[in-house]
Amino acid sequence: MQDSKLQFKIQKYKTLESTNLKAKELAKSGAEPWTIILTEEQAGGYGRKGTAWLSLKGGLYFSIILPKSNIDDLQTLTILAAFICAKTIKENFNLEPFIKLPNDVWVNGKKVAGILTENVIGKDVKISVMGIGFNTNIEKFPEDLENIATSLKIELGREVDNKKILEQIITGLKEQLKTISE
Amino acid sequence: MKTDIQIGDKVYQIEISEPQENLLKVIVNDKEYFFTKNELGELSSIEDFHPSLKETEIIPKGRMEREIKSPLAGVISAIMVKKGEKIKPGQKVVTLIAMKMENEIISEGYGKIKEVKVKEDQFVNSGDILITLE
Repeated sequence: MQDSKLQFKIQKYKTLESTNLKAKELAKSGAEPWTIILTEEQAGGYGRKGTAWLSLKGGLYFSIILPKSNIDDLQTLTILAAFICAKTIKENFNLEPFIKLPNDVWVNGKKVAGILTENVIGKDVKISVMGIGFNTNIEKFPEDLENIATSLKIELGREVDNKKILEQIITGLKEQLKTISE
Repeated sequence: MKTDIQIGDKVYQIEISEPQENLLKVIVNDKEYFFTKNELGELSSIEDFHPSLKETEIIPKGRMEREIKSPLAGVISAIMVKKGEKIKPGQKVVTLIAMKMENEIISEGYGKIKEVKVKEDQFVNSGDILITLE
């Protein structure tokens, strides 16, 4: 599916082991920057150091194949994405997001979104992918997580439009990265 | 495939062949050049190709690196190679976490590991030597 107005391609999957793994695999075989890998569920979603990221149904889970940045600019990617996620929350909903630097976004003291950027680097950047897990329409978290995680649905008491949020994040990120990518 | 290419007044005789899988041979006016693909599918040149190896096993002598340096500051989270191991272009050598971002550091050339200079959980600065090669 290609949205000509938005200028990015979305590859949708019913379920994936991990969108970042899929994104890296596609990038290795030559997929273009701004290819989006979207899934409804991740069987083995992971965060930093491979810690599990629970991907419950209703959430927004996607990875972006990023254009190759300069090595010096890599460290700003995650922060920019966290900023865009927070901005999307603030502009669309009556919620006050908090950026837990560098890679998480909180609402009311609980995590609502997390970002994991992964790069393959030699003398220069070979592959750069960014995974975003956004707790959008998650109804309820398991007991062990309900004090640390929340969703937009829980905070707002209503469903949100995952597609619209995805588009706003990608468009916003693209705008931000213009200054630092090829 | 043979062809002639003229650049300015000079004519170069070019011959391109693939003597074995993943080995591209280009002859320019009797001088031989060899290229191979790394794991990322990029073509890299094999300089000073040893004549005796041409028709047999490829152990490229060229494109040898002396060391692999850290491209950015961060903490080493995993080391995938050990002393004495032969590495090739595109091969993962270490994983480095920087600003909660995971970075697979790969080798750009061929080589044999002389020493792994870092340990897991060690902080490194950009430019620090991670691995030395023989």
